[in-house]
Amino acid sequence: MPKPLSILSLALAAALAACGGGARKDAGKLRIAVIPKGTTHEFWRAVHAGAIKAGEELGVTIEWKGPLQENDREEQIKVIENFVTRGVSGIALAPLDHAALVQPVANATRANIPVVIFDSDLKSDDYVSFVATDNFKGGALAGEALAQALGGKGNLILLRYAVGSASTTNREEGFLAAVAKYPGLKVVSSNQYAGVTTETGFQASENLLAAHKTATGLSVDGIFCANESSTFGMLRALVDGGYAGKVHFIGFDASPKFVAAIKAGQMDGMVLQNPVNMGYLAVKTLVQHLRGQPVDKRIDTGATLVTKANLGDPAVAGLVSPALAP
Amino acid sequence: MRRNLVTLMALLGAFLLFAILVHSETGDFGFVSGPNLELILRQTAIVGTAALGMTLIIAAGGIDLSAGAVIALSTVVLAAALSAGLSPLAAAILGVLAGAAAGALNGILVTVLGVVPFIVTLGTMLALRGVAKGLAHEQKIDAPMTWVNSALAALKPEDRWMLFPPGVWLTVVLAVLVGVTLNYTRFGRHLLAVGSNEAAARLAGVQVGRVKRRVYLLGGALVGVAGVFQFARLSVGDPTVATGLELDIIAAVVIGGASLAGGEGWVLGSLLGALIMTVIRAGGSQLGWSNWVQEIVTGAIIVTAVAIDRIRHRRHG
Repeated sequence: MPKPLSILSLALAAALAACGGGARKDAGKLRIAVIPKGTTHEFWRAVHAGAIKAGEELGVTIEWKGPLQENDREEQIKVIENFVTRGVSGIALAPLDHAALVQPVANATRANIPVVIFDSDLKSDDYVSFVATDNFKGGALAGEALAQALGGKGNLILLRYAVGSASTTNREEGFLAAVAKYPGLKVVSSNQYAGVTTETGFQASENLLAAHKTATGLSVDGIFCANESSTFGMLRALVDGGYAGKVHFIGFDASPKFVAAIKAGQMDGMVLQNPVNMGYLAVKTLVQHLRGQPVDKRIDTGATLVTKANLGDPAVAGLVSPALAP
Repeated sequence: MRRNLVTLMALLGAFLLFAILVHSETGDFGFVSGPNLELILRQTAIVGTAALGMTLIIAAGGIDLSAGAVIALSTVVLAAALSAGLSPLAAAILGVLAGAAAGALNGILVTVLGVVPFIVTLGTMLALRGVAKGLAHEQKIDAPMTWVNSALAALKPEDRWMLFPPGVWLTVVLAVLVGVTLNYTRFGRHLLAVGSNEAAARLAGVQVGRVKRRVYLLGGALVGVAGVFQFARLSVGDPTVATGLELDIIAAVVIGGASLAGGEGWVLGSLLGALIMTVIRAGGSQLGWSNWVQEIVTGAIIVTAVAIDRIRHRRHG
């Protein structure tokens, strides 16, 4: 019964031809798998650009693959498993859950494939190094800036991102720790979550703002959001509700929309990580380890507060619009 | 048996093709290595087990769109039970029971309300996903690591004698049980009778309602087992997991040769169907294909498989 076989082969061959597969990989070169949390946010494209840069400098091949959505635990597990089975030299992983990825990382380590964790922490020490922003410091930076803008007095809202994401949780805790030093500042909401998409972030923001509406405006003076999608959701809700510019608002991560909002006075600032540096250092650290050099167990990639005042600095400009991978 | 042979040939064809493609890419035969076979089986266990239940339901002329939501519910129940301090065995049993309860609910709604299964399970798909999210307070539930998590984990070197992880063996045992039930018991014959012609079955004295309720209960329990497997892989209870997985499960059953009109279902075929989809995904992933290419190929294969089946049916009358 050769018929189903031939049709199957035809379909597969056609798809293969469509994506130009079949080229032989360079033999002998180190192959580094870089696995982001998701592939849709611009942040990860900047990480990708940094990884490519490190790959070119160090003469290693970069394989970039991740789940589409940042809450697809099962898909990220599958991506790691397939890289392990296929046998890459090393894996750089941004775990989208600090618990669910422990087992796959342990399997990779057991298969003699070293793993560097970047961006978000993992509840395990089965890895070579953890390359990430000191997120607690980044959150504290935002808390300090809001306190200054408000003169140490006022009501604050913290819109959280999602439970289980270690990086954003640390930012949120850093923010809360910083504002706790000011007795005049009161956090009126810190238990709402934006969820993983811009749409859920928008809805959560609208609900949150509605809950703090007064006859004249808002009973809130300062707002902090801990990542790109929640910041964008909040920005949209503020603009839609006509509150933009009337409340101090600091976000996290870069986006052209945030730059425009800062220029227009709708946002006070944004705390920026250095995703290009993160992708670069993740790959570099992994390659150093593979080549037998000692590496630090924890590497900070830095965080910067960007405001209207320093938006023009060349160093800041490089953070605001990082080189993106195609 | 002839039908299963067709599915088996398709599986071998897909497997062989990827083995050759991966060979031309990397220069080794990694795709036919032991670890890769183990990987494919581990990644198939969830859809495979759920497809056993779906085979029964589809053979009885029904459908279950709530399977993905029930898997999520089962992981949440299991994780909540574990973190409340229950023993791993008790928690796993609760996870299976959650699936059985969902199946029982589907069965009762289908038979008592007389609404078509597509609509009933479309409703319970949304409602049970809501229950899972509510139970988990819209978050994931962390649970301590236990032996349940090793059900589908890669085997440790000292456990190599098992050949495959325990979850894979459990899937095989369940497949044999479901196969025997469908093909060699009175309940199985009644089930197929209801699926092929409900009115005739009723006239012949088959208690149609009771058969249907049992089918959905059994199907739900098997989806519950799939939920336990899903939890084992994630190690957390995740109310958003397995969104859309019901379509993979139905596709596995359909590739396996079952007719959505009912009266026919192939247990081995459904497992092979699930394997075909894993082979395409793992193969595509290992070749470095983008996700969208894999999705297009998978879609094409589902339609091709069913088209071939229709040609075969026409030829054999």
